[in-house]
Amino acid sequence: MKKYLLSLLMLAGLQASAQEIGLNSRRRWFLPDHTKFQFAGNIGFVSGGPGYVSRNRTLETDLLVGFLPQKFGGDALVTTSLKTTYSPWRIGLRNNYYIRPFSIGAYLSYTFGPQFDTKWPSYYPAGYYWWATAIRPGAYLGGKAGRNVVINNRRRSLELYYELGTYDLLIISYVQNKGFLKLHDIVSLSLGVKFGFD
Amino acid sequence: MLRWTGLGLVLLLSSCDDLFQYNPNEETLLERDKNLTAKNIEKISRLPVTDTTRFILMGDSQRWYDECEEFVRSANRQKDISFVLHAGDISDFGLTQEFKWVNEIMTRLNYPYVTVIGNHDIVANGSATYRKMFGPLNYSFGFGRDRFIFVNTNSREYAFDGTVPDIAWLKAQLADNPAHQNTIVVGHVPPFDADFDKNLEKPYTDALAGDTTVKFTLYGHQHRFYEGQFYDDGINYHLTTSMGARGYMIISTWKGGYKVERVEF
Repeated sequence: MKKYLLSLLMLAGLQASAQEIGLNSRRRWFLPDHTKFQFAGNIGFVSGGPGYVSRNRTLETDLLVGFLPQKFGGDALVTTSLKTTYSPWRIGLRNNYYIRPFSIGAYLSYTFGPQFDTKWPSYYPAGYYWWATAIRPGAYLGGKAGRNVVINNRRRSLELYYELGTYDLLIISYVQNKGFLKLHDIVSLSLGVKFGFD
Repeated sequence: MLRWTGLGLVLLLSSCDDLFQYNPNEETLLERDKNLTAKNIEKISRLPVTDTTRFILMGDSQRWYDECEEFVRSANRQKDISFVLHAGDISDFGLTQEFKWVNEIMTRLNYPYVTVIGNHDIVANGSATYRKMFGPLNYSFGFGRDRFIFVNTNSREYAFDGTVPDIAWLKAQLADNPAHQNTIVVGHVPPFDADFDKNLEKPYTDALAGDTTVKFTLYGHQHRFYEGQFYDDGINYHLTTSMGARGYMIISTWKGGYKVERVEF
């Protein structure tokens, strides 16, 4: 856990030092455009990490490291996730506030642990189990609200977002059992915050 | 204001069990979902014992929730059933969420139910969740003239390392029968299946055949009704089918005999 937190902090530090240039400067292309911290969403109790945004600011891609402490999960689990979120519409409000009312996205997560497999061991016949236990693809809908601010002559943004998501194994369970399972049985909520370094 | 928001958030977090999910493989359980084997054996022990004991064997509920609900409706219409045995593969992906869903359905039975672990229940964090939710992977209990031994027979999940099924434990359980109750061994994978350790097949079937109180033994896994004396040793092997195939068995035992009926729903 400490190791991951440390690397996150280092990323954040890297970010800060790259920003000493001023309002009109263009940052170097490989530096992240934002960092996110998320609560829940099947990629950790909390997760966080850097991300990039497309030039028109509708498409975000994030690399998040998540941690689930045993206290909240029954098992301590570390997960890395690659997330892509598309938020096509922006509605500007007064005082530099804005909302992006609709987001749609997908992720791929990898959970570490000897009990999880990406490729089943050789003592299983081919196709014995068809899914990988370490890797989960998922999808979500959501929205966000934010504000553009200028801090120390640097452009920043702060966004809060929510996502309602599910993943492959729950979707297939739902599709085959629409009598017993309702949509709310397979959908869960996640909340997050994004710091933008525009 | 902030305090009320905080309080509201805490209430929201604590009241909505599944609103937030942290990992597909999390093992979060409410107190009422824990130690179900012990709780249900306790319920069974308080049931009256009559001349004939009738119980249901069903299994392989994995990702067949709608069918499992229909099973419960069908089972609740049966007469004089004492309890239900689930022959394993409760879940499909070994996810806690699946175990909870099946338990939610099975608690609508008019009878207590107990389970044996299936190969799918061992996948990922499945066996850890099974332990927390149900209890030990190998266990036994007695009811009336009968004694039930539940044994983990999912050898493939342990890379056929020779530890599963635990033959020494099984033999000790068989030997520990001072009241000479009829012994009914229940497993998920039958010993003639490719998922059963070939090196342990003979020790296992010999252990059953060597005990005069064992007349028949029960399994699931193959998603079909199947039965026979496959080892020419007087022991009847009975397999129940899956929930997907919409079938289960009613087993009646009495002094000196037993009967197996197939039910389709």
